[in-house]
Amino acid sequence: MKPDSRILTALALIAGLLFLSPALYSIFMSFQTVDAYYTGKFEFTFENYALAIGQYNFARYLLNSIIVAGLVTLIALTVSTLAAFAFARFRFPGGNLLFAAVVATLMIPSHISLIPNYLTLAKVGLLDTYAGLILPAISNGFAAFFLRQYIRGIPVALDEAAYMDGATPLKVLWRVIVPIARPAIFAMGLFIFISEWNSYIWPLVAVGEEELYTLQIGLARLYRVNPGEDVINWPLVMAASTITILPVLLGFVFVERHLVRGITMGAVK
Amino acid sequence: MEPCASGALFPMLSRLTPYLLVLPLISFIVVFTYIPIAASLNLSFREWDFLSPTMPFVGLENYRLLFSSHEFWNALRVTVIFAVISVPIRLGLALLIASYLVREALPARVLRGALFLPSVTSTVSIAVVFSWLFATDYGMVNAFLQTLGLGKVPWLQDPQLALWVLVIVNTWKQLGYDIVIYIAGLQAIPQELYDAAAVDGGGKARVFRRVTVPLVMPTTYFLLVVSVIEAFQIFTVVDVMTQGGPAGATDMLVNMLYRVGFTLFDIGQGSALAVVLFALLIALALFKARVLGRRVHYEA
Repeated sequence: MKPDSRILTALALIAGLLFLSPALYSIFMSFQTVDAYYTGKFEFTFENYALAIGQYNFARYLLNSIIVAGLVTLIALTVSTLAAFAFARFRFPGGNLLFAAVVATLMIPSHISLIPNYLTLAKVGLLDTYAGLILPAISNGFAAFFLRQYIRGIPVALDEAAYMDGATPLKVLWRVIVPIARPAIFAMGLFIFISEWNSYIWPLVAVGEEELYTLQIGLARLYRVNPGEDVINWPLVMAASTITILPVLLGFVFVERHLVRGITMGAVK
Repeated sequence: MEPCASGALFPMLSRLTPYLLVLPLISFIVVFTYIPIAASLNLSFREWDFLSPTMPFVGLENYRLLFSSHEFWNALRVTVIFAVISVPIRLGLALLIASYLVREALPARVLRGALFLPSVTSTVSIAVVFSWLFATDYGMVNAFLQTLGLGKVPWLQDPQLALWVLVIVNTWKQLGYDIVIYIAGLQAIPQELYDAAAVDGGGKARVFRRVTVPLVMPTTYFLLVVSVIEAFQIFTVVDVMTQGGPAGATDMLVNMLYRVGFTLFDIGQGSALAVVLFALLIALALFKARVLGRRVHYEA
């Protein structure tokens, strides 16, 4: 390595750390006692995490977030892969129109459905349920559009060979298409999981019961319970905030490349 | 490209197959996206508080009230100002950083990772952390200003400053995404053009202005429209940090929609606002489709 490239690397590292310093400092602060924080000293403690997880119910919010984001990802990937396969491989009357209807959802701002979806779910008694949090989030055509583009790049000869062997369409999808499209499906899954994990306005609308709060709602409430900054327990809030970002933070280290590729593909297509 | 074997064996089933495959997704989309558009339109012509048994038809009354309310014009003005300030800052910074990163191999990966991280991080967490950063009494920014001998600034309590804080937070969060897209755009520019520019002579700034900026224009158009659409839908940061305050100085359209619909339960008025926002965003999206259409042509 040339010396000047080593300097560049160090500079890049410093610039990166500086950029992330607000987030890094918030994690540091979460290990500090309140008294030490307000007197400008440092005292290491896990107390804030114990408090957040126990008394402030963040264990429950974490569980809710995992359940909701996990199920949304699973269901959305399943229905989107099925639809993408049909749009990529079958020509059928009305197919183009249906595909256009799917793609058009990319243009439709989700806020138009906020009030009607709230009313629909209220009518069928699904407010304050996991189903109420999950179902409206499936209504997004991006994954189907993205996967359809990807599947069209897979040679049809592979499908035909499988059909010759007597495979059903579902078997072709499962045995031929899905294994080849795995990187795209994986990238899409990450994308869906992260956006669902971070989603805020719909859980805010659909859930009033504290037991069903996701991390985002729990954190916003914890912060807002007492935003008078003289009395707010910042270290506690930062512990809660760290719990909220941790899964994505940890996962990010492993999947950054996939994620960047997925997002770039989505934008360039 | 009909699937031949099963097509021959089960012609009926084969004809139904694609419909069955798309049915689950289409059902979700119809129930939770398309019917709601029609429902919003319908509700915007009615008066309803979510409780009363009837919802009388009131024609355009909700729209008339909306367009004559100070609240709506304020929210529209604030949203437009937010977009006009934040989008050029984001794109300008992103292009400068991306054009550096695209040439450096190893440091670029480290830096790109760091810059990209906030765009996948929880917006609520970011908003909370920046609320602390910009807190008047114990915030880091004011602590820093005080070491320089300057006074405390009430960042989020000052109507002039609060919107700028939101711009900073939004830029910090989204910059990495813009950079990643710009890098993809810059990589598509042929190296020969840079070589030619170098032969012609001219400093880095000149090459940037004469080669990079014009050739990356399609990406800029794309990001411009995407980020304007996104700016019009900003909600979370505002809801956590300022709730539209102080005195409506950061009240955006979606925050107003949430307030009217879900705290005042004025379903008719809220739906009218949702329809107006929808029309605005669809217009922007169609503009984007046209621009991107031109981009394809431009590249071909």
